[in-house]
Amino acid sequence: MAEKIIAYRFDQVDQTLSQLNKEDCTIIAGGTDVMVLYKSRRGVPPKITKPIVFIDHLNELKQVYKKGKDLHIGACCTYSDLLNDPLIPTPLKNAIKTIAAPAIRNRGTLGGNICNASPAGDTLPLLYVYNAKLVLRSVSGVRIVAISDFIQGVRRVDRKSNEILAEIILPSELEEGAYAVFEKVGNRNADAIAKVGFAGYIRTNGEVIKDIRFAFGAVGPTMVRSVDIEKKLIGKTIPLAGADIAQVLSAFDKIIKPIDDQRSTARYRKTVALNLLRYFLSRKQYQHN
Amino acid sequence: MNLKDISTSVPKKDHKGKVSGQLAYISDLKVENMVFGVLYRSPIAYGKIKSIQVPDLPLGYEVVGAEDIPGPNYVKIIKEDQPIFANEWVNYIGEPILMLVGKDLDILYGLLEKVKIEWEEYQAIFTLEEAIKQKAAPGVTMANYEFGESLEIISAIEQGAHQIIEEEYDTGYQEHVYLEPQGMLAIYKDDEIVVQGSMQCLYYIKNALITALDCGDDDVRVVQSPTGGGFGGKEEFPSMMACHVAVAAKAVKKSVMLVFDRSEDMVVTTKRHPAKLKYRTALDKEGNILSMCVEVYLDGGANVGLSSVVLQRALLNSAGVYKIPHFHAKGYVLKTHTVPNGAFRGFGAPQSFAGIESHIGHLSKRANIDPLEYKRKYLVKQGDPTITKGNFRDPILMEEMIEDLLNTTDYKKKKVEFQTFNHHNQRYKKGIGTSLFLHGCGFTGSGERDHIKATVKLFKSKDDLVSLKISNSDMGQGIYTTLSKIVAKELDLPYEKVSYPYPDTKEVPDSGPTVASRTTMIVGKLLERAAKKLKAQWQNGVEQEVTENYVHREMIPWNELTFTGDAYPAYSWGVNFVEVEVDTLTGNVKLENVYANYEVGKVIDDRVMKGQIDGGLAQGLAYGYLEKMTSKEGRIQQKSITDYGPPTSMDVVSIQSKVFDNPYADGPYGAKGAGELTLIGGAPAVQAAIEDALQTPFQQIPITPEVIIESLWLREGEEG
Repeated sequence: MAEKIIAYRFDQVDQTLSQLNKEDCTIIAGGTDVMVLYKSRRGVPPKITKPIVFIDHLNELKQVYKKGKDLHIGACCTYSDLLNDPLIPTPLKNAIKTIAAPAIRNRGTLGGNICNASPAGDTLPLLYVYNAKLVLRSVSGVRIVAISDFIQGVRRVDRKSNEILAEIILPSELEEGAYAVFEKVGNRNADAIAKVGFAGYIRTNGEVIKDIRFAFGAVGPTMVRSVDIEKKLIGKTIPLAGADIAQVLSAFDKIIKPIDDQRSTARYRKTVALNLLRYFLSRKQYQHN
Repeated sequence: MNLKDISTSVPKKDHKGKVSGQLAYISDLKVENMVFGVLYRSPIAYGKIKSIQVPDLPLGYEVVGAEDIPGPNYVKIIKEDQPIFANEWVNYIGEPILMLVGKDLDILYGLLEKVKIEWEEYQAIFTLEEAIKQKAAPGVTMANYEFGESLEIISAIEQGAHQIIEEEYDTGYQEHVYLEPQGMLAIYKDDEIVVQGSMQCLYYIKNALITALDCGDDDVRVVQSPTGGGFGGKEEFPSMMACHVAVAAKAVKKSVMLVFDRSEDMVVTTKRHPAKLKYRTALDKEGNILSMCVEVYLDGGANVGLSSVVLQRALLNSAGVYKIPHFHAKGYVLKTHTVPNGAFRGFGAPQSFAGIESHIGHLSKRANIDPLEYKRKYLVKQGDPTITKGNFRDPILMEEMIEDLLNTTDYKKKKVEFQTFNHHNQRYKKGIGTSLFLHGCGFTGSGERDHIKATVKLFKSKDDLVSLKISNSDMGQGIYTTLSKIVAKELDLPYEKVSYPYPDTKEVPDSGPTVASRTTMIVGKLLERAAKKLKAQWQNGVEQEVTENYVHREMIPWNELTFTGDAYPAYSWGVNFVEVEVDTLTGNVKLENVYANYEVGKVIDDRVMKGQIDGGLAQGLAYGYLEKMTSKEGRIQQKSITDYGPPTSMDVVSIQSKVFDNPYADGPYGAKGAGELTLIGGAPAVQAAIEDALQTPFQQIPITPEVIIESLWLREGEEG
């Protein structure tokens, strides 16, 4: 009785792209989100209406390399691959360690986490503060977009049906004097969906803030980040004055609008998001990593 | 079997099949002429059915409902208030109304969508709070009991008291999360219906089937299949599923399989009763207890099921392990239009222990005495009366177990260290908490003698292999191993020569349900005696069978009406010490060290006991701070394990445990009950540890990060 499913698994990225150009398909990398999204009740296979294109095996999409000051990460690197890669920055590794459990980390990919565009995507806050850029490939060539432009809403991304996400570029990761931190708040220590995610990034010269960024996950339809608020802190010195911290907190208080759901409450999410921000801003010094 | 000490571990009987993944559970089975069943469930919480419209069914698909039940339309448990298929009134969202059967699940799910029901909807009671307000209204109070010191005397004491402390305490749902969701298969044969599935109580199911099918004893047969965890969740609930598949099999003359996936299981099966406990305690100037009144309210859900018995155990444990002067207790099971609540490891005791340990802890603060020291002043001793005028007649090792943990943990030093740490660390706060608890083993009062009347048999084949004929389920707790071991040791036979086949009611007598921490103590003792008897009449090469019947221990007779007498034949005891670190920014709680001492008479197998300790305590700790289930307008909100959040191996630390010997004459080799005991101390100890870390009292479990952040936020407000 099983319905026929069309699936493609090409050896090359080019063949994959040309198929995608002909036909609207569901792309499966690790499948850890797709299979859940299309899950049926017990005893019935998942119902994926479009043809499936597998990309998890494409080596071209699994490379990690430095190019100038940029770090390029192949979209189909699994979380486990990244945990074992010496080029991956520690804060990103720390974020990855909070994702699900080893079995999922052996399948799930960084590109998948981005394209799934969940409000609770675990790597997203950090990728936002790294100003990650995404390399999208299609038969027409390459397009590069900022992650904050790519992710447009809950499970809504700016990917054309003939494109695949090929690489993630972390442009500022290798800059000197940079420090980044990630905190995931879940209901337990593994296999948990974030109730709040927070990433902070700071680059200082001596005690002077050259650059500072924050992003919050699971407190809105997409990551909450405000370049305007960040700008107000540039040029200030560490440790920050109480009034400056209060000003930033009150600015975020206005734009963080979480919801109540089966995992937590709006009030908790907001309080904790601001607590983590206050804690980040109140540090006396930042260890470079 | 030549073990010097029975406690020495042996390989588990069911080890290979489980570890290799070869063991077939019910959902793995396929039998000839088998169809699947799916249930159409009520989408409303409370209402009257006006009409049911079933879509046109394709060939081979059929509908089964109340009119197909040969006998009366209820699941036989205690009261006749749980319909097999609701056909007039529905009382909760998810209540089964009819079943569709056929070969293809996909088609069945499609057909379910097309069932149309017309309703007359009524105002439902969704919460325990609402039910308490309406408890005098007809039908809301489903059971109630009251006992203890007379209220006149208490009133007089209260008038002379220095102060009266009143506290209200709330406990939440707990979900069993057995690894294997519920599943049941009815195999249709011309002359009998065989019901096979995941279960704890074969004869509960058999009796329910005889009533529902209105048939004779030989017309139904119940067989346990490998059961992947029960925790009480497979005590009474499987009876309903068994009725569903058996009625359907009889109606369509095919074998019918009903298996839940995780989300269906989480939404419609029984849970631990949410409870409200109220304490009213009179104190003298030094903070000593003069009298105490306790009220217990249990949210029964839509029908009473086993709730009255759960309430009894909650009340019997309402004073904890303490000798409280002038103690009075009353309790209610109240109806709400929500999923029925039922048996769950501890059976009412976890709610009571969480409440009383919390209350006593808070009283110790007022007396300005360390909580553990305060608790020890009231600890019961051998020979003391129970709150029902029974007697703690066996030796009690609580003082030894406490002393041992005070030394192991270096409790006093640690308290000082934590204070210093907390003073210097703005974000993280450490705390240590303790719990003292007991568990009454076996059925309440004279239940074993009057209701269960257990019988066991041992069968010896011509080639001198012995098999156990009992109706108890190994659901992972290890009785294949422990009970076989008792028999092998008693008969002096190699462990391999004793077998314990999956029970089948055609083959085994009723040795009672697998509940109430009774199996090792009661059934194990019967098997020990049966083995002695067989040994005495042993003849090589001859088929032999021996039978043993339950014999009641002499005690103060239990009177259920007055709530007096010995409520249990024996008690097992425990002490937990828990250390936590609380993140004050997120409210997250990290377990740092967990210590547990238990006294269960005599351990039958060290490794099996360690399994009970680690699993039970993890479940108990999680009940206190981690697992959170909520209902919104009658709908369970957490439908996945991820959202509910039971602990993973990343959440639990290695549990440092010891078990003290204190052999009990009426248990095999001195063994008492162990399975439920291990859960009970977790929640109160973790609460006490969180309170110690934050220096803030809590009045509920689970103490989730949301609760912690709220309380810190309120405190900040108060402190300005």
